[in-house]
Amino acid sequence: MRFTPTELTGPELELQAEVREFLAAELPPGSHEPCLGMAADHDREFSAKMAARGWVGMALPSRWGGSDRTAVQRFIVVEEMLRWGAPVGHHWVADRQTGNVILKFGTDEQRERFLAPICRGELGFSIGMSEPDSGSDLASVSTRAERADDGWIVNGTKIWTSNAHMNDWFICLLRTAPMEDGNKHAGLSQFLIDLSSPGLEISPIPFLDGSHHFNEVTFHDVFVPDTNVVGQPGMGWHQNTTEMAYERGGPDRWLSPFSTVEQLLREAAGTPMQDTVSDLFGELAARWWGIRNLSLSVARLIDEGEAPSVESALVKEMGTRYEQEVVEKLVQLIDEEYSPESESLFERLLAQCVVTFPGNTIRGGTIEILRSVASKGLQGLPV
Amino acid sequence: MVDELITETADRLFSELCTHEAVQAAENVGAAPDIWDAFCETGFDLIAVPEASGGSGGTLAEAIEVLRLVGYHSAPIPAAENGILGGWLLAEAGIERPDGLVTVVPPRAGADGWSGGGACSAELAGEGSAALTGEAHRVPWARSAEMIVCVCECDGQTTVIAVPTSECEVSPLPNMAGEPRDTVRFDGATGQAAPAPNGVDAAALAERGALSRVALMAGAIEKLCQLTVSYTNERVQFGRPVARFQAVQQHLVWAAQDAALVRMSAEVAAREATRGDAPFEIAAAKLIANQAAARATKACHQAHGAMGMTQEYPLHHFSRRLWSWRKEYGSDAHWSAVLGDMATGVGADSLYPLITSGTAALQ
Repeated sequence: MRFTPTELTGPELELQAEVREFLAAELPPGSHEPCLGMAADHDREFSAKMAARGWVGMALPSRWGGSDRTAVQRFIVVEEMLRWGAPVGHHWVADRQTGNVILKFGTDEQRERFLAPICRGELGFSIGMSEPDSGSDLASVSTRAERADDGWIVNGTKIWTSNAHMNDWFICLLRTAPMEDGNKHAGLSQFLIDLSSPGLEISPIPFLDGSHHFNEVTFHDVFVPDTNVVGQPGMGWHQNTTEMAYERGGPDRWLSPFSTVEQLLREAAGTPMQDTVSDLFGELAARWWGIRNLSLSVARLIDEGEAPSVESALVKEMGTRYEQEVVEKLVQLIDEEYSPESESLFERLLAQCVVTFPGNTIRGGTIEILRSVASKGLQGLPV
Repeated sequence: MVDELITETADRLFSELCTHEAVQAAENVGAAPDIWDAFCETGFDLIAVPEASGGSGGTLAEAIEVLRLVGYHSAPIPAAENGILGGWLLAEAGIERPDGLVTVVPPRAGADGWSGGGACSAELAGEGSAALTGEAHRVPWARSAEMIVCVCECDGQTTVIAVPTSECEVSPLPNMAGEPRDTVRFDGATGQAAPAPNGVDAAALAERGALSRVALMAGAIEKLCQLTVSYTNERVQFGRPVARFQAVQQHLVWAAQDAALVRMSAEVAAREATRGDAPFEIAAAKLIANQAAARATKACHQAHGAMGMTQEYPLHHFSRRLWSWRKEYGSDAHWSAVLGDMATGVGADSLYPLITSGTAALQ
């Protein structure tokens, strides 16, 4: 484990200033209801505006429609978007991970077909991992794809699928060979599936507050052409593990409550502030500074060609717990009752944090799984 | 950037000298003159003190790296006091340093900010000379020092005063790790005095002191964490190493996060302090280190079980130091308040720029 301190270079600071200017013009404070991190509103128009600046799929090669930018440059854009509460939901998954997977494992035809539209902010992706009987034990997935002429026939059910009702494509981990004794990681493959395919049924699984993010996606003999298999059939586990590494350790794992804290400070302006409240702002600023330095160093390591999987897991485990701790501290500070429909924006955001943040330490791999990954790395074992 | 040679040299020196037995012996006696002498031979005792003032030269960042290794090996020596604290004050004030060890009176935090001389008053006693009266508390290694330096108000001017220890009465007092934190009684003790130049006062000394503690704590937490990984891999219960249990893995992961967080904070704060003023970074780093010390010692002790509660096993050299250093140069409450003033001072629109740019966002 090694986190090397790094800092933004001159051109990187210019990018940061450019993003701040863009956000101040597009979404001035008071003009929009800030989103809480990556669980952001889907706004195809906003995604297109970001794409016009070259900020979607920016780390992908220009040959495929990207901007040849670095992981650190993407970090800068993402952290500014998230702390601002910008509606980045539509392109989020494609930008963070699916584009990378297609670049790394896909065919040239797939790169041609998907990467340029991703970089234009057009394509929204859902991720098909969990199933009724497979959550943290992902290798036990049983939704199967069986050989057919020129393609595969898919049957089974994926659940807790975020935003399948709004997205265009589905990157799915499916079983293409029966589970073998002793090697349950074999026989899995990754597929790109059009969410409008015949036989694919999407039904809502209401979120605990009644809102609609989750879905159940059922496959009834859905045909997927060979040209939509990602990488080698049977190599899905390895490819999926690589994909998970892109998910971890970024600003989306520690910035979710920032706009809530910022709004508390905004609403408190002009009135005398109790010491305990002021002290909390100080503590939170310090801890965000510390976590950000670690997270930024992970992005720099990626640009240096490293694969910091242990470091990413450590940052994600810490960052998501920190997000919940921030909310708990705010809850303890506030005497009033608050509601998702309070007049105060801060109170609305806080109510939303309280209700939705238990999911932060679950999504994309529970912290229990992350601890197992990280502690193997700390002990020098293969992760 | 810090030259790797510095890290390697200090690491080799301490690996050889700071054995479990040597550190324990130093605690029993209250000093480790042989380790100190070997340290001085490398020139690390005066690192970051300008050569023109009799120091070894080098940057603050290099001195901080040496202090990290002092913490990592629980080296029982006053490296911070003699170098970047006492040595710095003497060099800034243009007072000649003695051959022997120099220590400082730690500033105390009060409602009106930091004050430098402990419960002492100072008055001028002729050209370049002042007399101190009163008591200073928790002066590190005062019993072994040749000179005690403080920065305090003297006839309305911030003044650096350096008093020979022979002029004072020193009562030994240990901290929780058995390191000397002595009480020093001044009874009109006269020493050299010089006006403190701009940028040198009790608050500046407190910031450097806090930075020194963050560096020591970074090293100690790292070692604490490594001991815990090793021990939980060797200790077999229920037929397997206890590190295989998820409940134990949680302790390992949390301690590793704290080790990473404090080391990162120490290095970034040192980098910024080497360039100029770094009040945000130092305050943030000390608060982070204080909180991390509490969490990491708890996790590592729990993972060690009863073995960690014995004197024969070295965990306590690090955990007891962390509990002591946590309380030096600013508590959690102190630095939270300082940071709170900065955060509320910049306001909502600049809260995130404060997090990304630190002190630069305060101007």
